[in-house]
Parts: sequence; C-alpha cells; structure tokens
Amino acid sequence: MKALVVSQRLSDAGELVAVARRFGEPAILAFQESALKVEEVAAYGHRVYRVRSDRPEALYRAAASLYESLNPKVIVGPSVKNVKDAMALLAGSLDIPLITEVVELSDGGSVLTYKRGFMSERVTMTAEVPYPAIALLNPKIVKPAEKAGRGEVVDFDVGDLKVNVVGVRAKELSGVKLEEAEVVVGVGRGFKSREDLNLAFELAKILGAQVGGTRPIATDFKWLPEDAWIGISGKRIAPKLYIAVGVSGAPQHMSGVSGSKVIVAVNKDKSAPIFIQADYGVVADLYKFLPILTSKLREKLPRRA
Amino acid sequence: MGRDIAVLVKASLNPEVVRQGAEGAYDIDYTPLKISDVDRNALEEAARLKSILGGRVYSITVLTWGPSKARDKDLKLAVQEALAKVADEAYVVVDDSIIPGDPIVTSNVIVGVLKSRGLKPALILAGEASVDESTSQVPGRVAAKLGYSYVGYVRRILEVRENSVVVERDVEEYVETLEAPLPAVLSVTQEINEPRPPTLIQIRMASKKPLHVLSLAGIGLNVKPKRLIKEMRVVTVFRKQVVLEEANLEKAAEKLIEYLDKEGVLRI
Repeated sequence: MKALVVSQRLSDAGELVAVARRFGEPAILAFQESALKVEEVAAYGHRVYRVRSDRPEALYRAAASLYESLNPKVIVGPSVKNVKDAMALLAGSLDIPLITEVVELSDGGSVLTYKRGFMSERVTMTAEVPYPAIALLNPKIVKPAEKAGRGEVVDFDVGDLKVNVVGVRAKELSGVKLEEAEVVVGVGRGFKSREDLNLAFELAKILGAQVGGTRPIATDFKWLPEDAWIGISGKRIAPKLYIAVGVSGAPQHMSGVSGSKVIVAVNKDKSAPIFIQADYGVVADLYKFLPILTSKLREKLPRRA
Repeated sequence: MGRDIAVLVKASLNPEVVRQGAEGAYDIDYTPLKISDVDRNALEEAARLKSILGGRVYSITVLTWGPSKARDKDLKLAVQEALAKVADEAYVVVDDSIIPGDPIVTSNVIVGVLKSRGLKPALILAGEASVDESTSQVPGRVAAKLGYSYVGYVRRILEVRENSVVVERDVEEYVETLEAPLPAVLSVTQEINEPRPPTLIQIRMASKKPLHVLSLAGIGLNVKPKRLIKEMRVVTVFRKQVVLEEANLEKAAEKLIEYLDKEGVLRI
C-alpha cells in the first residue's frame, strides 16, 4: 500500500484521494456517523475503513493499526483540528514527519517535497522530509478525484477511549458567509463596547457590506458570532473592499484578509501596523470618523439609505 | 501522582518582523525571536493551577532557530518571562546540531529533558500553536511518547480532580467538554485567559531562579532534524499605503470616498 487517506467529510474526500493517487493506490480511513456518506466515499473505488467516532484518540488508534498492517508511504488528510490532534499522536509515536496546512505536495523520489505558509503566511516555505510521512492539506489545492467503481467498506472498532466526552455544545453562529461578501467591514479592539459596533453596522448597511471582526471581538468578548472571526485561524476573506476599523493589523488577522482587492484602515494610532498593510488609511478616532463617513456615503449612495 | 506542571515555551521567530533578503528570500537570520504569544496563555493558566495543584512549575524550551550565539539574548528574554510569570525553574536546550529544528527534534528533546531529570509532571501545558510555524503538533507528539492523555485546543480548564482533568475543547463548529485522565498534555487557545505581564518584583525574582542550559549530550540524546528547508520566500502584496491625516474629518471622508470611487469598489 502506498497511501492512506484520512477523510472527515465527503467534501474533502475527493481532493485528498486526488493527491493520494499520486503515490499509488490508496486506502481510505473515514470517520463518519452516517453509513450513506461512507458509501459515497467508497465510490472512489478504494477500500474504506470506517470508524464510527471522530475523536482524535479513536482516529489515532485506527490510523496506527492501519499503518502497521498497510505500511503506507504517505498518509494524507485535511488540516482540521480532530485530524491534526490524531496525527500529532501518530507522528509522535512513530517519530515520523507530520506536515500541516500544505498547499503543494509532490513525490521527490526518496523524499516528500511540500510547500506551506510560515510566519502567519507572510512567508512560504518549501521543504522536504523523508518517507514515511503524514501530510495534512489545505482545502481546494487540487481538483477532486474522479469517482470510479465501488470500494469495499470495512468497519473498524477502536475499543474504549481514555478521554471521555462529558458534553457537546454548538457554537453560536450567524450563518453569514463572510468569504462570499464583496464588501466587508472588520472591527477590532478600537471599539469599546458591543453597542458601539452599531457604528460599523450602520456603515456596512450603506455599503451593502457584511461585518466581521478580529479574534478577541468574536471569541473573547463574543460581540460577534464566531463565524464572523476573520483571520488565519478564522475566516479567510477576499472581498473587493475591506474596511478595517479599530484594527491594529496583527499578522494573524491580516493573513486572513490578504486577498482583498482594496484595504482601508481607520485607526487613531498613527503608528499602528495596519497603515502599511492598507491601500488607504485614515488616522482618526473611529467614534468621530465613522458617523461622518457613513453620512457622506448616504448622500452618495442614496438608494441604500 | 505528581502535582507538578511543565509548561512548554517556545522562542519563536517574530512574524511581525519579516525581513526580505536578496530576490525576495526570507531573511531568517535577522528575524528576532520572541516568546510565542499563546505560550503566555499557557503560563498564565499554570499560574492559576499552581495554587490548586500545590506542586512545582517548570518551563522547557528548545532552541529551534540559530545560530545559537546570535539568539542568546532573545532566548533568555523568553525564558525569563516564564520564570518571572510562574516557573520555579527553567530548562533550556541549546545545541547547534539540532538547528534549524523540527517538531520531531523538539518533542524528543522535551521528553529527553523530563526523563533525564526524572521529572513526572501531572500536567504539561503548551500553546495551541507557535506563531512562526503554527503546526500544532509538538504537544500531541510529547503525549504519545510519554503515554500521557492528550487534549488539544483547550479553551477552559474547568476542574482538576484527583486523577483527571475536565476541560472544554474547541473544535471548528462546536465546543466539547471532556474528562481526560492524568497525567495529561493540554494545548491551550488564547481564549483560556487574559495573560498579565509579570510584575517588576516577579521580574527581579526571576533572575534568582535556577535556569538550566543543557546540550543534547547533557540529556543523553542523539536526534537529528528530518526536515530540510529548501527555500523561504516573502509573500509580497502591494498596497498603496496612502494615509489621510486630516484635522478636518469631513474632508478626510470626502477624500476617502473619492479614492474608493476611483478604485471602482463603491457601487455609485
């Protein structure tokens, strides 16, 4: 066996299978609750090992056992938290390389060659590691594989786990798709209270924009739902216009907006790093400037008023 | 069961200072190191838990980026922060044979420090990712090697019981509450607390605490990095950097609108 695919969802399986096929005939380790979805994963024509748990510990045990019996040269998976945790355990127990957030992957003969972001994605790194290795990929780096035939589905039991789940709660999400918005207003710690975000919402309304925020705004203060968190570990956006208000410009945030066509910054601190990462910067107190900007835009864009 | 806490502290390349060398290459030698941001949250959490567990706290740092001589000052600064904040003593492994390091080296060295010194912490805390490489794998590797239980992306430590720890773990769409048996390795996210900088008194006390600088031979280990870095390039995005600094905000707003109109990003 040349490759093992660890798949979390049907949506990532096609891309992972496409990359795995570069190394030979893959097998798939799928962790899903629904039998139907596993049948769809089997439609790629490779054997599927099904684990009925998405716990990192369960995945680790299943992957370790398959690693021993199948002896794959490469394990590929998605760069998501459960898989990252499971593969860190596997890589540690075997002392083999684990590379994550990979954007390019190729067989370099005796080594695996790859490219990934580095330094909050301000730098790209090309490197190589010896086989066997585990590579977790970023989404949408290749076209999904063609489906072909029907692979056998084998159930895999991992036994009792050490870490127990006491409870699960869904995050409060707005369902807003920031990554699809043409104009986004981003809010940062320059805002002093949740109520004050109305200044940003007023501006967004005139522009037909969605509102997102930096990590503390969405996760610590919970002034916005968590899916409005823009940044390297949150949403990555590429709108035509991104207006950052009261945002300092930390690399973890800016990497999430680097694809924006035009970036505007409003910040009262002239030395804030955002100004050298923006096309247009306004040095001003947002509490004074936003109402003026909004009212000027209202005159210009009357149909939205 | 011991009641000690080990905190993994990394001196990371500072992503706020990305210098470009010849032909767009990333100039790593001139990038300063600093304590990885989320490790501050791990230290803060250790300070909170120290009084509950009643044991000792030690920090472990492995120098990844060299040359070691040029990194001495930055490295010391990161370790001093751990000592000032909470650690009773600090272990630092500096060895040019493992530079530039990789996660295989780092995890083996951390385990090597613990084993060679006979340290058996009940909890090992680390940040969820380092600010330079951000691969989130060293804590899991350490757990697997030691046979500890492991929970990554911990947003809250709810309770430390006699033989287990109850935590909230952040996953993409949900938060789960888990009970993990001790000893355990936990990686924490920056939501877990608000790190406070050490006080002046703490900083002064830190210089009196033991700082053990060890070599690879000093922990009886022979390990080599498996990763070979071929190329590093700075990602350049051109931005116009026009800054409006007007006393008259009405004017500033008008100018900004004019610029955006010309860019074609306002649907006027």
